[in-house]
Amino acid sequence: MELLLTAVTQIATPMTLLAIVAGTFVGVIVGVLPGLGSVLGLTMVLPFTFAMPQIPAIALMLGVYCGSVYGGSITAIVLNTPGTPQSAATAMEGFPMAQRGEADLAIGWVTAASTLGGLFSVAVLALAGPTLATFSLQFTPIEYFALGLFAMTCIAGVSSGALAKGLMAGGIGIILSMIGADPVTGDLRFTFHSFQLTAGIGLIPVIVGLFAFSEMFLRVLDLDAGKTAAKDMRVGFRLPRWADWRPRLGMLLRGSLIGSFVGALPGTGAATASFIAYSEAQRTSPRRANFGKGEADGLVACESANNAVTGSALVPTLALGIPGDPVTAVMLGALVIQGVAPGPQLFVNHLDLIYAIFLVLVIVNVVMFAIGALGAPIFTRVLRIPEPILIGLILIISTVGAYGVNGNLFDVWIAFGAGVAGAILRYFSYPVAPIVIGMVLGPTIEMSLRQGLILTRGDALAFFQRPIALMLFIITAAILLWPLVRRLRARERT
Amino acid sequence: MKDIAAILRGFGLVAVMGASAALTAAPVQAQGNRPVTVVVPFAAGGGTDITTRAMQEGMAKALDANVVVKNTAGAGGTIGVSEVARAKPDGTTLAMAPVGPLTTQPHLRELPYDVDSFDYICLAYSAPTVIAVRKDSPFTSLGDLVAYGKEHPGELTFAVQAIGSIPHIAGLGLADAAGIEMNYLPVNGDGPALKALLDGTADLFIPHVSFYSTNADQLKSLALLQADRLAEQPDLATAAEQGYALDFPIWGGLVAPAGLEDAVKGKLEAACKGAIDSKPFQDRMATLKQPSAYLGAGDFAAFVHEKYETNRKLLEKAGLLAK
Repeated sequence: MELLLTAVTQIATPMTLLAIVAGTFVGVIVGVLPGLGSVLGLTMVLPFTFAMPQIPAIALMLGVYCGSVYGGSITAIVLNTPGTPQSAATAMEGFPMAQRGEADLAIGWVTAASTLGGLFSVAVLALAGPTLATFSLQFTPIEYFALGLFAMTCIAGVSSGALAKGLMAGGIGIILSMIGADPVTGDLRFTFHSFQLTAGIGLIPVIVGLFAFSEMFLRVLDLDAGKTAAKDMRVGFRLPRWADWRPRLGMLLRGSLIGSFVGALPGTGAATASFIAYSEAQRTSPRRANFGKGEADGLVACESANNAVTGSALVPTLALGIPGDPVTAVMLGALVIQGVAPGPQLFVNHLDLIYAIFLVLVIVNVVMFAIGALGAPIFTRVLRIPEPILIGLILIISTVGAYGVNGNLFDVWIAFGAGVAGAILRYFSYPVAPIVIGMVLGPTIEMSLRQGLILTRGDALAFFQRPIALMLFIITAAILLWPLVRRLRARERT
Repeated sequence: MKDIAAILRGFGLVAVMGASAALTAAPVQAQGNRPVTVVVPFAAGGGTDITTRAMQEGMAKALDANVVVKNTAGAGGTIGVSEVARAKPDGTTLAMAPVGPLTTQPHLRELPYDVDSFDYICLAYSAPTVIAVRKDSPFTSLGDLVAYGKEHPGELTFAVQAIGSIPHIAGLGLADAAGIEMNYLPVNGDGPALKALLDGTADLFIPHVSFYSTNADQLKSLALLQADRLAEQPDLATAAEQGYALDFPIWGGLVAPAGLEDAVKGKLEAACKGAIDSKPFQDRMATLKQPSAYLGAGDFAAFVHEKYETNRKLLEKAGLLAK
């Protein structure tokens, strides 16, 4: 209790509160802008933390982190252009909802779901931090392989009826992820003697291209399509009614649990979590027929999941010193500069710091909600910008975003290429989200499979002797076979 | 129409923010000379990045110019380093080039640069590596590890952070010197290597001493891979004391595209020295438990060329050279 009070006094300083607000604001903005994601936002504020005391420095980083995961969903809704990979699933329900003229409501759903998911994961971090960290060590490469395969089944969920096309798009994603250095031998694959390709194809430039550029290209080609007229677009911020919430509380809880679980496993991340939560919602929702047409279930599931990653991703980062992804790696770097040594001892000897982090996260989530609510009228107003001007602006911002990831002009060409390819694929109604799933999961699956085979000395059967992995394999098989079983049973009945 | 004007203004602001974000770092304000960009060939937050950013302010003061740190990551650091190799040699584009892209990667694959593509300004950091095992590992010395490895050939699993990296070469060096066979498990960097140790999939890995110190809660050092003990951490026993002359530091320094004027080079060298000697930099290195190191332009150039040759020989021995 005394420690909690110390933590409160540490946080209740103007500088810390300012750091929280400023950090969350910057986070939301970099999240909103396509291409500029969490990593870039954290890198931007990193130099400032050097000159700050410990708690404000941590508060600034946490604000940027949580804000950026949320911010990407706004662009996904308003422009069908996920600002970050984590929001790719959000676009699938949010944009159709905005097209109906209800962007204000869509932002209300995702803002509330993000905040609640974020708060849920703070509770997980507070109550189960070290235990969860120990549990995450049960996941060796073999379990990651099984989890990766399981997550691949999401392709079915996001293909909305066009399964064959979805699988092809997923295959394209996996093939793109194989370009560059082989992760085990270092040999170069599919680089065609291009030096730039030795670094592989970046996920963010591809997302900028597939979503932002292709959306703009399609709009240019198809300016007069019958959509809700710009003047009929509702602007503002509207929270869903309680009557709409009540049937979706299960989705919220499930999304938060999925996010917290996936986040605690180093090396997965918010994009994976939101795809799993989305396809899980699509499988189980009584309103599953509405998916792809602006169903709030999908928004609640994927936004609660990706924000629930924020708190639990700090579990392995703080309790083990193992950052799960490039985002937590930058945060860990900043913490180490502040003289914080991660590890199990942190939760024993520096509880005051841990409590301070919990409290900061709680405040960050509340501030995030406020920024979302106050900003929504501005963001939704974007829909009323005359389309030619809007398209020009988005193209410029997206180009800067694609360049900014690695400061490499080659990435801009990748983004333009992906934009043309995305426009063609979408014209022939191929879903593009599976490409993202393939690119996110491809490297995890390949690396863990090959690591697993190195560890078992090439014995593939040993993969089925580990209980967690076996369970995941069985679930994956069950999900894949379930539609078949359902069809057979339906046939028997008739 | 008023609405639209307001939105456009807002968007303009956002676009400007985006553009400045793309430059990544907040440039340190100074007057006068043209800004100097230091390319860090890895992502932000890592050791190379933090060291460079710690030097930023000192260099800006000495040069009387803005110093911008730019992260150009990819392909083991070779993308960022090659960008600088291609730049104009006017002293405004530098790289913080680490050991890998300078002295091991050119032997592993074809690159658009080699060791002679640069003018060498200064060595900015050098930290030894350690052979690390889990805290509760039964091994307490290098001797234990080697004895086990000899009795159980191929059973020790060694986590490799990157193919052809210094830790990889150091592991190959250990196996060669001790006459043991190990199972090599590639992982993506220090964090995943630590995970592989903690979850029991790997038995040892070789991080740099700063990473080891930060995670000393969960790790035990069997041997420091340099000739003498560290003044900062005298309790770490060296490999040399235990009968194996293994010396594998991880280092890096400022390089410029070849063809720099002597006067410009001299100015940059002085700025580098000034930054490294400054108190803020030394304090940061102390927090990170990273021993400080410095070599001037001439010594650094000789040092890089020497390491380039020794690492080539080690890679050749391991059969990793590009055909």
